[in-house]
Amino acid sequence: MALSLLYYAQEFLRGEWAKKFLAAKTAPLVTPPHFRNYPELTGKTCTHQLICMMACPAPGAIDVVMTPEGWKPRIHIGHCIRCGLCVEACPNGVLTSGRILESMFYDNTKLSFSFRIDVDTEKCMGCGNCAVACPVNKLIDAQMSHGGRASTDDLLLKVSEGKCHVLHVEKCTGCKTCENHCPNEAIRVARLLEAIHSPEEEL
Amino acid sequence: MKRTVDVSIPIGPVHPCWKEPARVKCETRGERVISAEVELGYMKKGIERIMKGRPWQEVMFLAERVCGICSVIHNMVFIEALEHISEIVVPERAAYLRVIVNELDRMQSHILANFSYCYTIEHETLGMYLLDTREKVMDELERITGARVTCAFIVPGGVRFDLRAEDVLHLRASLDILEQDIKRYTGIFERGPMIALRSRGVGILTQEAARESCAVGPTAKASGIADMDRRLHHPTYQKLGFVPISRNEGDNFARIMVRFQEVIQSIALIRKCLDQLPEGPIRGGGIPGAGEIAYSGEAPRGELSYFIKTDAAGRVLEISIQTPSIMNIEACCHYMLKGVASLADVTSTFVSSDPCIACTER
Amino acid sequence: MTLLQSLKNIVRSKSIHVAYVDVGSCNGCDIEVLACLAPRYDIEQYGIYVHNNPREADVLLVIGAYTPGWEEKLQSLWQKIPDPKVAIAIGNCPISGCLFNRPHTLVDPPVSKHIPIAAQVPGCPPRPTEILSAILSVAPTVFKDFEVRK
Repeated sequence: MALSLLYYAQEFLRGEWAKKFLAAKTAPLVTPPHFRNYPELTGKTCTHQLICMMACPAPGAIDVVMTPEGWKPRIHIGHCIRCGLCVEACPNGVLTSGRILESMFYDNTKLSFSFRIDVDTEKCMGCGNCAVACPVNKLIDAQMSHGGRASTDDLLLKVSEGKCHVLHVEKCTGCKTCENHCPNEAIRVARLLEAIHSPEEEL
Repeated sequence: MKRTVDVSIPIGPVHPCWKEPARVKCETRGERVISAEVELGYMKKGIERIMKGRPWQEVMFLAERVCGICSVIHNMVFIEALEHISEIVVPERAAYLRVIVNELDRMQSHILANFSYCYTIEHETLGMYLLDTREKVMDELERITGARVTCAFIVPGGVRFDLRAEDVLHLRASLDILEQDIKRYTGIFERGPMIALRSRGVGILTQEAARESCAVGPTAKASGIADMDRRLHHPTYQKLGFVPISRNEGDNFARIMVRFQEVIQSIALIRKCLDQLPEGPIRGGGIPGAGEIAYSGEAPRGELSYFIKTDAAGRVLEISIQTPSIMNIEACCHYMLKGVASLADVTSTFVSSDPCIACTER
Repeated sequence: MTLLQSLKNIVRSKSIHVAYVDVGSCNGCDIEVLACLAPRYDIEQYGIYVHNNPREADVLLVIGAYTPGWEEKLQSLWQKIPDPKVAIAIGNCPISGCLFNRPHTLVDPPVSKHIPIAAQVPGCPPRPTEILSAILSVAPTVFKDFEVRK
């Protein structure tokens, strides 16, 4: 009897026991380093190619904003689904998340983007809204006339003979401005994403 | 004098045992269930409508979010359907990695289903053991894919990340622990007298009824139908020599035991994959093209089919998804629940068929 | 506030009951809430009891992007919870609609349009530790300055 009382006293009068009894029990859990968390900036220079926004599957999760230090991608928490496609797609390695950048380096993988513009000639009215709105066209020929007609053939989109024509699809940046400005849903931009190994290392 | 009363009892949509909203209406006499009907419609998000006109990199994530529990198989079936359409060849290493991740996902889904069942029959100890074991599986899934639930691991022409040498060691070590643990819990479940009282002979689905109701997955395997496992038609699983499991009892006990056995089987499959894992590239590239296909794979709950039609740029024009839970819910409500002795068994029988309402309604 | 009431509040804030309701999610957040029950995270060591009965709950975890099937049902569920009460939005869906908030969708996010939301846990899905810390941070505020209305 006395022995058991002594045992209980010894057991429960320990400071450690009282602390464990009153306070929380398990150690605070840490997020493992391989978890793909929200993308963070690595400090490398963003060149405003907007590939991250092209790759992002969630609406309104990422945008690239001008800050005093230059262009910076900004993640919107509450929209971001932490898929890590922006990290993988960025050609400059501006973003990082979990082990993705490390894995890309070891596995020598990358995501490559190409764009494809389809013009439905049945629906196209030749209004030229797409060609005028296109930001790539604006850089090449700032003087482009109303209606999308121009003298140069260097352009991405150009209207001739009453229809819109795609001249240099490789210049497309996939922004879909033309698609948004088309009154007749005649132009469609496809963002083609391809998961590949980097070609330099294979040679 | 014995009195018989006809009462219609609704169970749900918010019920302590159910993770998701669904309502089961039971016509009962006393406590014996005469007939049951399920009422759905709380989760309809219109995913198939959202998917239309979108490229694979957006549909892939939507497909994952058809069901959060078995997200990897939705990803896998969608991507493999696209690959069949546009004849993209997958490197062999990537095909094996897909199987490893898919089997890990199946393990966590089965363990979660068994946890829910144990929780429903109020065997909380075993439930908590299982939930702790599931965390170990989730750790491995996270180590390989970088995310716990929505892994986004499989892309056309390969997978996103390679399995590193140190990950293989980790995976093998935890597979040993998992196998030991799951065998122990299987023993507890198989030999527990209280569990047997709540499970054996409750919610019987005969083989004929299973065929009639088109039950799939572990629900059908527990009733002795094993030939409908879609993994038998998958080339990588054929290389691994996959043989499905089946039991003949057809009651709640058999359904849970089938899941336990499938977890053990998945562990063996992953080990075989790790042994045979070839070296080589993990991505073959390739852009999806035009075409249409009906393709199916074996989700943790049964057969999952995608019908996809794409245009020349790889955008999804039409898509329809058939998930396994709809067949299992049909089997559960119209065959298993009939003649269940008490209302407490209604919830446990419903949970034993592992219904996934999010899949069913999308 | 009487001394008795404030004592009651202190004691009750150490024992929070949690109910969760799924208003149209993909199930990913549901199982992460369930994973909080696992011995590794062990939500019950903090005095938080997860069950699914709104009549006994103090904290409601709202999961999902608010589908039309929950029209008016969510409000009636919210009214069934006795005072004091708070709601926590788990995951991206109740905050922004996540991937489902696109043209032709049926969902109607955010959930804060329909019931008052006290805290949000972003992520698709959030980790159990994030859910746990959100509940823990909200728990002391539930019973703060609560008085029974006469």
